[in-house]
Amino acid sequence: MTAALPCCHHRSHRPRPLTDSPAHPPSRPLPRRGLERLDLLLLAIEALDLHGSEAMLWSCEQLGLSEAFPDRVALWKSRCRNPLRRASRRGELSSQELQGLEMLVCNLAQRLYPMLRQLFSSSEPEQINRQRWELFNGRYRELILERMNDKRGAIRLLIDGSEAESLRRQVVQTLLFCAGPGGLQRLEASLMDGSR
Amino acid sequence: MTNFSLGALGGLSAAKLKLQFEESSCRLELTGLPDVSASPSDASTATAGQRLSILTGWELNLGQRAALQGKLEHLQALVAAVQPYVRHLVSNHPCPQGDPNSPVCLEPRGRGHRLQLRSSQANTKPLDLQLDDAELADLTQCLDQMLQDPRLGITLPLAAPQPLRRREQPRRKGAATGWAAPAAALGALLITAGLAMVIPLPERKRPTAKPPAPTTSQR
Repeated sequence: MTAALPCCHHRSHRPRPLTDSPAHPPSRPLPRRGLERLDLLLLAIEALDLHGSEAMLWSCEQLGLSEAFPDRVALWKSRCRNPLRRASRRGELSSQELQGLEMLVCNLAQRLYPMLRQLFSSSEPEQINRQRWELFNGRYRELILERMNDKRGAIRLLIDGSEAESLRRQVVQTLLFCAGPGGLQRLEASLMDGSR
Repeated sequence: MTNFSLGALGGLSAAKLKLQFEESSCRLELTGLPDVSASPSDASTATAGQRLSILTGWELNLGQRAALQGKLEHLQALVAAVQPYVRHLVSNHPCPQGDPNSPVCLEPRGRGHRLQLRSSQANTKPLDLQLDDAELADLTQCLDQMLQDPRLGITLPLAAPQPLRRREQPRRKGAATGWAAPAAALGALLITAGLAMVIPLPERKRPTAKPPAPTTSQR
């Protein structure tokens, strides 16, 4: 794993949806669990890439999300809607903020795709891959402890539980399959799980 | 990632079209013909000649492990299996796709995924492939690129990804322990209340009529 952003193809526009009908109407609020997952995915991006927070701001500009997230404070405020945060803010995300965060996750997942692919590839040397995972797990744990409320059960499971490693792997796996042209629709549907 | 080539087919007036989608461990190549009989009222008549509307064949190369060829129905089956499977994976709830008679089956196996392909030719054993997450992601990216390509004029079965129903959702690991403490408290309260009802209450003594107090005469 390298600290620098990998040099890879960047999509500066919202990909055309594979199907015409959206996964969920924009008026439907995001379930609490979806909100938690969205922020944890962004946190995983930061753990994978040391310049992740800068890349988020840069991607916001590239994707034309400056209206929803004009600066890093606005982005931080939206992410703080996650109830698992230490400094959580009440209320729901607006549909503009929600779509913006979803696009941001998919765009950054696409940028990190070569790195994500390496993490899950069985053809990579086992020892090197183990080191990559250890590095990611360490960074992710630090970020979680720094920003999340570690008294919450969901957070304790992610940092200390017997299933912690498997849960963190699931977060990165979600990023892997959110990359690509159809990733946004998959992520949108996944975040709305349990809402129907 | 995509490559588009035009080449004349001997004896045919229409040009042969080839679409190619490539990722690290996967290459998908579609070969076909444009539908020249499409109505001239079509808005993009010029581009209609460059749209692959009649699929003559496709080939999928999964690294050096397998090279698959098929017809339209096989490609449809591949899309119908891979897309919903990956959709469930994003929710961390892998769900097998494809029944035992369908040409393509995809299901979780170990830390990877088992892709089973059944040939339409008789006496041919099904091809059993083990894909890791990276290979499945590459295949998904290739299929996504194909489905999004405006030069593809073939209709493939694709439903919009839907959220999982509440009962389909994987249970959060901590959910059971989260309810354990309140459930134990409620149980203890009910047991205590039950025991309290079993213990007999002390009999309340009825007030007996007091004997009249002896009267003393005043002198």
